Amino acid sequence: MAARAGLVDPQDAKITARHEEAALGLAAALPRLLVAARRASATVVHGLHGRRRSGVGENFWQFRRFTDGDPTTKIDWRRSARDEHVYIREQEWEAAHTVWLWIDRSRSMAYRSSLSEVSKLDRAVVLGLALADVLVRGGERVGLLGLTRPTASRLAIDKLAQSLAFAADDSSGLPPAEAPIARLAEAVLIGDLLAPEEEIAAAVANLAGRGGRGHMVMIVDPIEETFPFTGRTEFLDPDAPLKLVAGRAEDWRAGYEERLARHRAALAEIARRFGWTFTIHRTDRPATEPLLALHARLGEAER
Amino acid sequence: MSALPLAFLSPWMLGALILLPAIWLLLRLTPPRPKKIDFPPLRLLLEVVAKRETPVKTPWWLLLLRLALAALLIFALAKPIWNPPPAATAGSGPLLVVVDNGWAAAPDWAARVAAAEGAILSAGDAGRPVALVASADAPRDIGLSASDAAIERLRVLSPEPFTPDRRGQLGPIEKFLAANPSADALWISDGLASGEGRAFAEALAKALNGRPLAVRVEPTGSARALVGAENSPGSMTVKALRAEAAGVEPIRVRASDLRGRSLAEVDAAFAIGARDATASFDLPVELRNDIARVEIVGAKSAGGVQLLDQRSKRRSIGLVTGATADVAQPLLSPTYYVARALRPFADVREARGQGVAQAVDQFVADKLPVIVLADVGALPRESHEKLAAWVRAGGVLIRFAGPRLAAAPQDELSPVRLRQGGRILGGALAWETPQPLSSYAADGPFAPLAPPKDVTVSRQVLAEPDADLPEKVWATLGDGTPLVTAERREKGLSVLFHVTADTRWSNLPLSGAFVDMLRRIVDLAGSMPPPAPEAQKAAAGEQAKDQPAKGEAAQGPAPRAATLPPSRTLDGFGAFRSPPATAKPAPAEGRPFATQENPPGFYGPPDSGIAVNLLPGGASLARLDLSGLQASVAPVVAPEPTPVAPWLFVLAALFAILDSLIVFLMAGGAALLGRRPRAASLIVAGLAIGLFAAATPVLAQGAPDKKQPVDERFALEATLQTRLAYVATGDFEVDRISKAGLEGLTQTLAERTALEPGTPMAVDPSKDELSFFPLIYWPVTESAAAPSPETLQRIDAYMRQGGTILFDTRDADMTGAGPQGPALRRLLDGLDVPALEKAPPDHVLTKAFYLLNDFPGRYSGSPLWVEALPPAEEGEDRPARAGDGVSPILITSADLAGAWAVGSDGAPLFPTSSDERQREMAYRVGVNIVMYTLTGNYKADQVHVPALLERLGQ
Repeated sequence: MAARAGLVDPQDAKITARHEEAALGLAAALPRLLVAARRASATVVHGLHGRRRSGVGENFWQFRRFTDGDPTTKIDWRRSARDEHVYIREQEWEAAHTVWLWIDRSRSMAYRSSLSEVSKLDRAVVLGLALADVLVRGGERVGLLGLTRPTASRLAIDKLAQSLAFAADDSSGLPPAEAPIARLAEAVLIGDLLAPEEEIAAAVANLAGRGGRGHMVMIVDPIEETFPFTGRTEFLDPDAPLKLVAGRAEDWRAGYEERLARHRAALAEIARRFGWTFTIHRTDRPATEPLLALHARLGEAER
Repeated sequence: MSALPLAFLSPWMLGALILLPAIWLLLRLTPPRPKKIDFPPLRLLLEVVAKRETPVKTPWWLLLLRLALAALLIFALAKPIWNPPPAATAGSGPLLVVVDNGWAAAPDWAARVAAAEGAILSAGDAGRPVALVASADAPRDIGLSASDAAIERLRVLSPEPFTPDRRGQLGPIEKFLAANPSADALWISDGLASGEGRAFAEALAKALNGRPLAVRVEPTGSARALVGAENSPGSMTVKALRAEAAGVEPIRVRASDLRGRSLAEVDAAFAIGARDATASFDLPVELRNDIARVEIVGAKSAGGVQLLDQRSKRRSIGLVTGATADVAQPLLSPTYYVARALRPFADVREARGQGVAQAVDQFVADKLPVIVLADVGALPRESHEKLAAWVRAGGVLIRFAGPRLAAAPQDELSPVRLRQGGRILGGALAWETPQPLSSYAADGPFAPLAPPKDVTVSRQVLAEPDADLPEKVWATLGDGTPLVTAERREKGLSVLFHVTADTRWSNLPLSGAFVDMLRRIVDLAGSMPPPAPEAQKAAAGEQAKDQPAKGEAAQGPAPRAATLPPSRTLDGFGAFRSPPATAKPAPAEGRPFATQENPPGFYGPPDSGIAVNLLPGGASLARLDLSGLQASVAPVVAPEPTPVAPWLFVLAALFAILDSLIVFLMAGGAALLGRRPRAASLIVAGLAIGLFAAATPVLAQGAPDKKQPVDERFALEATLQTRLAYVATGDFEVDRISKAGLEGLTQTLAERTALEPGTPMAVDPSKDELSFFPLIYWPVTESAAAPSPETLQRIDAYMRQGGTILFDTRDADMTGAGPQGPALRRLLDGLDVPALEKAPPDHVLTKAFYLLNDFPGRYSGSPLWVEALPPAEEGEDRPARAGDGVSPILITSADLAGAWAVGSDGAPLFPTSSDERQREMAYRVGVNIVMYTLTGNYKADQVHVPALLERLGQ
């Protein structure tokens, strides 16, 4: 008798109820998560703009020698009067653009192992809201994919949190198959991304259909990486009624690690194909780490 | 019945054991329950194929454990019994029960009766008639009876205090078995080979002719016996016997006197494989003589009792010689051979370093039963009378002849009149050949002895051939002249050897006969029968009537020939009882072992009776050998049947717990524990607390045993540097001045002398160790309380060991009472203070460092009291004097500390009574005192240096 996989009996299915509660408890946990998100975002100073390139904006960026084709209205006469050349006054490009957030709300996200302080969902929410906060403070417009419209309001993250709290249950583990995001918009997918690679690829392809860019953040519980199980173990899937009984769990470690690496490689490949980025974040690391990385990449992606 | 003493009350339950394979199958199929773990990436895991997946099944040892658990439960339910009661004798015919009721059956008699009763009852239940035979009873015809009657008979049986002769019972038994051809037999044996055990068993088996014979024998051989009590010179020894050469077995032997009072108990032990052990009582001889009964404590058997009579008493014998004792050449000492001959059975006390008369007086006063006079001639009148009175009161006087006796005038102490004039025969003139010892008087105490052939006598003293001489003679020489004569004097006896106690006149002292003769004589001592009753007189013959003296003399051995009636005998259990009707008088010379007619006990009058013991002195016990006999052998004492089920249940429960633990561990319990350091640390902490709690009382108990530890810090501080010390009086101001004063003095010493003391210390004489300090300054306050006795002891010890205390009453300005002050008197009350004097002008204190004329402090004019010196020798002109050592006490009233005291700025604190020069002098006094305490009389000796140098010619 090797490992036996199969549907769990109703008895075992009770376990998933626990996660249901945890997911529903998100509403109760949101105020706390909001605070955590604000604290995390406070460490990131966005400034009104970090674009460092000329474009449509209010602020002076640089003087440039007039070249053919430049609109004459842009000539800064005061500057031009100082020498023989004609200068054009360029403004910094300050166009706000839309960032779509998606936070995985499936039951498996409510998982928290003994190795970690927070559940994956908590971390995903904190990360998402903190990112939203940073972006909103930076003048961007932030929306929850499939839940809200983008907003640039200062109170955006409160709104986002509210809509999160009242969002319907979603156990697909995938972003909604809505219309592709706009070309200049960016998507940030935060979840455990444990769905089959093809489904994830399809979802990403759908989102990137109009050339929109995006970032995938894979939230991982440490136990999912280290697989520290030994002895006879029965594994239960919180999302689906699946179970697996391993006689000696330690024998499965190598195979699992290899499979996990392949999964991640596949995700990275998907990201690469659409020009997206792919980040892995473990819940036992501070939330500010992926926040900083994401923030930096949000800028890079537009180059 | 199986070899194991195990039986099942519900054996059918064992049938459930066939379920075990089924359980095994079931258990095999049911692996331990896995731990459940939520694992979100399960889908990934599902795609993984494990490299090696061992089939999930219960490990074999767990399977074994569970099967054992099941088997245990089944066994427990079958109600096993350890040591089941022995099955009744099989058979349908009459049952012959032979019960050994000799002494050896006594210790476990109740169990034997119970065993017999059980057999009889079960036979009765089966409707079988029973015949009961007790082996120690007189043989009689055996009749069948109902079990009730047999039990009645059994109940009146009791162990008899002798070794039964079982052969006597064989006749009736054979007759009975021949008459009842269907009978079988049960023999409850005492397990001893004595009493023809093997022959009896064989004959019994033969008579049964193949029918079953059951023998019950105690496998350990319960009987223990005592034999051979011997009152040897140093101790009383007794031998303990057992039948089985088993392992080490401790026993306790008790000695008690005639009235049953315990005198001593000693421990002895049978060694491994030994069948005898020796117990010895190391008691003073007087106590040993009181021992009348020696028994094994708890033996509960007549065999375990050894009775002692007069014959085993050791007597103290006084030995007096007229010759000058020559210690350097013991072989020439007249008493050497006598002492050697007496020592095995008596304690010899020799008169050492005192005159004959003194020694005799001493021995008589000590009431010794026997006194030996070796060649003692005339005695002082007084001693003579004392000795005669002692003999009349029951003493036995043994005299040896010799030159002195031969030269002495006739006295009453000799049993016969010695021939006057030429009463000494000797040398070649009288005899051609030395005379051999020819015969012992038939009615004398030596009668049982055989006269030795090798004893020759070359000289002797001769008795007057009086009419009554023949009756007084106990031993004669070849020519008919008496060698030993004796005469009874009222209660006592006077015996005369007509030769010397050494080898000058004969070689008798060298022969073994000498020892026997002395022993027989000494046996007579102290066991003098009371005035003979008429019957005995009649038995003694007509001589007793017309010649009382001779009758008395012969009385020693005479009553022994008769028999003595039993006075107290032992029953089978070793307890005294009045003699049973079957007991008959015993011969007066005693019996070596007991019989039915003469059970062990005391015979005759209490003072002079004899004791009969159950076993002869050289006896040993042997185990009944039943090998090769057609008999089923079982132990007599059936062990208590023990149900085993509870233990099995407990074991099964333990197995169950173990099983749960294993399952827990297999399901990752260990990892769970390991991954929770808090839990682990809690467990460890709990264990630690438990251990600590267990250890705390031990510590608490151990603490009081420790001696009061020396205050180490104080000791180190006081000893690492020489320091002055002052006694803290408790008065702050006084203590401050003392401290400041000693600091000032310390400073001065450091400046002016080679001594650099450390900071002064305060001491409390009731607590602190004083011996670290050469000098202790003790300011005496008016209110000083008298020290406690312990403190006084410490002060006294300090002063005796060379310390010096400087008492300062600080009152020279007022009374100046010095040593007379009430406070000081109170302090010193109870202290051994030497005689004091005012330090004389030539005292070494005045020269120790500075030359001083007086000893001022803050106040001048106060003398310094020191231990009085021995007065100066006449004409001696020494500039300094000192006694041996240092005066342990110095008393002043000049307030030295006040004069020495300096403040922190080094300026003096107090003015002196006159001027600063007085302060300087006070410092000098202090320096001198310190130097004096440290160097002693060194300076006094220094004054001799010029003279010594002069003598050396320098």
